[in-house]
Amino acid sequence: MRMKIGFCKAHFAQGLMMGKLIIAAAAVMLVCVTAAGAQVTETPNFSFNGFGTFGVVRSDEDQADFASNLFSPDGAGYTRDWSPEVDNVLGLQLTANLTSRLTGILQVVSKQRYDETYTPFVEWANLKFDITPDLSVRAGRMVQQTFMVSEYRKVRYATPWIRPPKEVYDMIPVTNADGIDFSYRFHFDGFTNTLRGLYGTRDVNIPDGSEANARDVVVLSNTLERGAATLFACYGSFRLTMKDFDPFFDAFRQFGEEGEAIADRYDIGGKRFEIMSFGSRYDPGKWFVMGEWALAKTRTFIGDIEGLYITGGYRFGEVTPYMTLARARPYSDTSDPGLSLAGLSPEQAAQAEALNAALNEMLGSATNQKSISVGVRWDFIRNADLKVQYQYLDLGDGSPGVLINRQPGFEPGGSVNLFSAAIDFVF
Amino acid sequence: MKRITVIAWIYLLSLMASAVRADEAARVVVVVSSQNPIKTLSRAQLTDIYLGRMNRFPNGNLVKPVDLSESSPTRGEFYSRYLGRSQSQIKAHWSKLLFTGRGQPPPTVSSGDAMAELVAENPNTIGYLSPDFLDERLRVVPID
Repeated sequence: MRMKIGFCKAHFAQGLMMGKLIIAAAAVMLVCVTAAGAQVTETPNFSFNGFGTFGVVRSDEDQADFASNLFSPDGAGYTRDWSPEVDNVLGLQLTANLTSRLTGILQVVSKQRYDETYTPFVEWANLKFDITPDLSVRAGRMVQQTFMVSEYRKVRYATPWIRPPKEVYDMIPVTNADGIDFSYRFHFDGFTNTLRGLYGTRDVNIPDGSEANARDVVVLSNTLERGAATLFACYGSFRLTMKDFDPFFDAFRQFGEEGEAIADRYDIGGKRFEIMSFGSRYDPGKWFVMGEWALAKTRTFIGDIEGLYITGGYRFGEVTPYMTLARARPYSDTSDPGLSLAGLSPEQAAQAEALNAALNEMLGSATNQKSISVGVRWDFIRNADLKVQYQYLDLGDGSPGVLINRQPGFEPGGSVNLFSAAIDFVF
Repeated sequence: MKRITVIAWIYLLSLMASAVRADEAARVVVVVSSQNPIKTLSRAQLTDIYLGRMNRFPNGNLVKPVDLSESSPTRGEFYSRYLGRSQSQIKAHWSKLLFTGRGQPPPTVSSGDAMAELVAENPNTIGYLSPDFLDERLRVVPID
């Protein structure tokens, strides 16, 4: 359990050191580019923008929390009746147009973190160079474009929902990367096709001493657009290491061959985490419908998960009612017989039993749920909207669904009613 | 089954909405400099240009769209008439690009006069105006 929490914390922690290195590298690149390019001299200009959400969530489950994501410390339900932690976010961005082809951005975001503070962290920090108007490269920190709205999922003003469907958007444990990417766009027969590739790394340091490393992060995505229609596909992969779990699996390894096999099957040292996703959207203006399907695979205790959702809405002027159906379910086993107790001394048997129980707790907490949400967005003034949303979660048998911070009195399965209200703004 | 019914309803409603939309008299026209060789644009091309998906005219010349300020009624009319989108939809669209470093909205000018001036003097720009501001330096681009 403690380890599960350790894993949770890892996601949200943002190690700044790597970012600083990358930014320094980007600055060096900037000097090289300006020296070599010597383009039409233009005065650099800077712009400052921001986005944010003020929201509250109420859950009728009082023995567990509905949180911002699986790695948040708390949220609505057990910790608070009305939680502002789930959706509150503030982002500030500085954009620097250094030349007509070179742009830099720095975006800092404040929202509830693993340690319950709102310490701002760097979400984006990169330099983009346009080799041609349709081919660009970037270096620095980027968000992985694993899903259709991954890159701007925190800019709720730009998304139809109160928050992206967790059944899909909570599937990846690391959402940023420090590295390089390219974007190549071409047009044919009224179609616009954009191919993107990202290579990077992400070290996540946590104040309590544990850490997570995503290495060899590769994300390839393709977006095909024509008029109101969009088709999206993505393949992403990285090697994930979390040393925090080593003692747990080392304990299994002490039980000989059987223990070794279990540890090798479920440990999380440098194993490949893979995800593929497909999405489509149709938005002719008056109404929209969009959906995504994704499958995440890992040979670790996290297991394989499938997620999908479909959303639609109709715009009556500035008022947009919408509905979302979503589902997440494990694709791999959610329990394991673990170590056999036969032939063990009473002390060994007790230890083995405890290990088996902990392993099954980890496997059994895989997300399995369906949900239906209905809501309405009202663009009541320029630059801001008000959204209210009701969501019904149907948790799978024995699964806590997306709920965290589960108390001894929590019973997995069953259903949860959520009510959310939020104001989103951009400036 | 429920899902299909909902989608069918949304589709029917949208058909009704487009049928009742009358073709009102043009109170906003799309303009380029009279030195610009472009004669016509399709609605899809104009949409791609104003949403930042295309940065060249069909003839290959660079194109830079220009906007009127957000408070201008002509701006609202341009987007609803030619792009079929409200100002808040356009704002949401540019938020996606801006906050991912993938693009920035077109520069704005504060008046029809300023728009006429800017477009007239820059053959690689495109703009829109109330017909009152037209002069011989500008050419109206019919949108099919």
